[in-house]
Amino acid sequence: MNQDVRSLPIQVDAVSAVPALDIDRVSKSFHVAGRRVEALCDVSLSVQAGAFVAIVGASGCGKSTLLRLILGLDTDYEGEIRLDGKRVRKPGLDRGIVFQEHRLLPWLTAEGNVAAALRRSGLPAAEQRRQVAEQLELVGLRDFARAWPAQLSGGMAQRVAIARALVNRPRFLLLDEPLGALDALTRLRLQDELARIVRHERSTAVLVTHDVDEAVFLADRIVVLQPHPGRVARVVNVNLGLHRNRSAPDFLRLRDEVLETLGVRHAAPATAAVPS
Amino acid sequence: MSGITNVQSRGRPAAWQRLPPALRSGVLGVVTPLALLGLWQAACAAHVAPPHILPSPAAVAERFQMELTGGTFWLDLSASLSRMLEGFVLGSVSGLAFGLLLGLSQLGERLCGPVFLAYRQVALFAWVPLLSMWFGGGEAGKVAFVALSSFAPTVVNTWRATRAIPAPLRELAAVLTFGRLDYIRLIALPGALPGIVIGLRSALIYAWLATVGAELFLDIAPGIGGRLNEGRDKFEVDLMLVALAVLAVIGLAFSQLAAFGERRLLRWSPR
Amino acid sequence: MSRTGRRRVATLTVGLLVPTVLLVVWSAVAAKGWLPDQLLPAPAAVWRALLENAASGDLLSNTLISLQRVGEGFACGALAGLGFGALLGLSRTMRVLLDPCFLLLAQVPPLAWIPLLILVLGIDEGMKVTVIAWASFVPVVLNMAQGIRDVPAPLRELGRVLTFDPWYTLTRIVLPAAVPSIFTGLREGLANAWQTMVAAELFASSEGLGYLIAYGRQLFQLDLVLAMVVVLGVVGLLVNGVLALAEQRLLRWQALAP
Repeated sequence: MNQDVRSLPIQVDAVSAVPALDIDRVSKSFHVAGRRVEALCDVSLSVQAGAFVAIVGASGCGKSTLLRLILGLDTDYEGEIRLDGKRVRKPGLDRGIVFQEHRLLPWLTAEGNVAAALRRSGLPAAEQRRQVAEQLELVGLRDFARAWPAQLSGGMAQRVAIARALVNRPRFLLLDEPLGALDALTRLRLQDELARIVRHERSTAVLVTHDVDEAVFLADRIVVLQPHPGRVARVVNVNLGLHRNRSAPDFLRLRDEVLETLGVRHAAPATAAVPS
Repeated sequence: MSGITNVQSRGRPAAWQRLPPALRSGVLGVVTPLALLGLWQAACAAHVAPPHILPSPAAVAERFQMELTGGTFWLDLSASLSRMLEGFVLGSVSGLAFGLLLGLSQLGERLCGPVFLAYRQVALFAWVPLLSMWFGGGEAGKVAFVALSSFAPTVVNTWRATRAIPAPLRELAAVLTFGRLDYIRLIALPGALPGIVIGLRSALIYAWLATVGAELFLDIAPGIGGRLNEGRDKFEVDLMLVALAVLAVIGLAFSQLAAFGERRLLRWSPR
Repeated sequence: MSRTGRRRVATLTVGLLVPTVLLVVWSAVAAKGWLPDQLLPAPAAVWRALLENAASGDLLSNTLISLQRVGEGFACGALAGLGFGALLGLSRTMRVLLDPCFLLLAQVPPLAWIPLLILVLGIDEGMKVTVIAWASFVPVVLNMAQGIRDVPAPLRELGRVLTFDPWYTLTRIVLPAAVPSIFTGLREGLANAWQTMVAAELFASSEGLGYLIAYGRQLFQLDLVLAMVVVLGVVGLLVNGVLALAEQRLLRWQALAP
């Protein structure tokens, strides 16, 4: 039934032969109370090493599901997801994840939480300690290494979660609405930091968000998903350079364009800047 | 400042209001015990009941002092406590192990869960005659009963708590590629700790209950419960009141100790 | 058969595995005579003891006596406990005055009162019902008071904003919000009543399930003891089931209430 509606596979970055992350015609459905619900329908996406891709869409468009599949938490789907040409079969330390809720272990200190991610790294203990300290420094929490998560503010806890995701130097950094639960001011501040940190780490980043401003601010490329079932509606390239101004005309125009794809009309007519 | 004058104008004595609230409730807290004591003394003075039924507060205090200095009090106390501790350690350690088996292994739960649930239906004291026949009415039987009493609450709470580790944390373990042991050590055990602590607390209460029960029901031996029986046999109400007071104080001490241990173990918890 | 149906059968089979093995081992040990009958009678003997007692009517009459004691004790203890708990929960002054005394008394294991109560009240029904009532009183008070004190402040504020009078606040806000806690107390109270009934009957009684156990022990009839242990388990399960059903009913009524 969706055959005619669904989007065609989109191959944007056809530069190198094997993309770092290759999502190849992925469909996924769930069974809810005996009924089959299609979450993702024929989604394809290639991401080159070092790119920052944002996936935006209304709730229920399957964007978090897509991240779970990339993580390897769920392997029951159609199509293939490949990392450097190899099919994803289970979670691995080559992928770091920041969840919307910080998901810190409340019984470990900030430092302990970051160190927990190094359990399977095989690094010697001294090196582990050094890495943990370095990551906490990077997210600006050196002085809070010994604090329990319950003693941290929401923004600080999320920084620890970012440090935990980065401590293994993952090839891929997956961000599942990482700033969604924070207040507006903290969110803006952490967006700046996220831009800095990802640039510093040079990992390939996939950000899932429903905040279009955030996507335009951080990403090189924005994939707009459409809900019921989740499918790619459009891909927008962001060519705004390294240091972005949230109120520059280019920024606002791009934002409105993405918003319009999502069905939000603006008074100002968006100029037709067709991407790619 | 205006708030203070406001309160004072309500007609209560200013000095009383100026005391810290904790002190105020402390003072009020001893009002009732003192009143009860006064009532008791008055009842004795008025000969409401013969002294062997209702001994005076002074008589009970005297008895207590006698027990402390000349009697077997310390022997009884240490007998009861060591009996209880032995049983509690046996029961809670095995309960912890069994609860973890049920909570962490699906197969273990399916195999042993139903049997345990069936066992738990039987009232605790129904095991007294069985245990006394299997282990004898002496020390072994008593300790076995105390162990049995602390076993079930530990198992139930450990089982439930390890089963209830939230899915997001299980997912985190998968993302961090934790093995089975890492999962148990870093997530399952600390995550279940609040539940396990509740289990151990209630096991401690049951162990104390069972210690007294074993001393009342099984062979005569030194112990606080034994003194209660002695008091009944010899019709010495003063001795029984002393024993009951000791039971109350020890129960209180245990619950304070448990609360302290809980705070230490769960320092990370926001509550 | 459907997938869920098959899974259910598999779960049931696995669940029955351990009980079956235990039963077989028990029968084998008894049949080989490895342990004397006084220590471990054969399952068949236990079953026979159960049937004999059921046929003679002893089982039914003693069960009813035990249930009656639990019922009377629990009813008195729970009713008084709800009242006293409400007092402690609602009035700060009362709490400060009475809480320390109550908590100290509550630390004494309920059955430790039995010897003293025997001297004061004698060995008859009054003593047993009193101990059972006290055993169920304590958790009901603690949970009732805690439940009332834990009513969220925003809900109380709502009552103030809507200018409810105290009675209306109590019946529309405080008590409904405390219902889960009240039921926890009642369930604990009933469990305590049941435990204490067995203890009291074991200690001093000439009727009831606990008495039958004590009697079997004195005559070294372990088959009778084990049979009564089984009966206690089954009746305990039924009593718990009835309370769970009542709770479900009441909470459903709660859900439907405006």
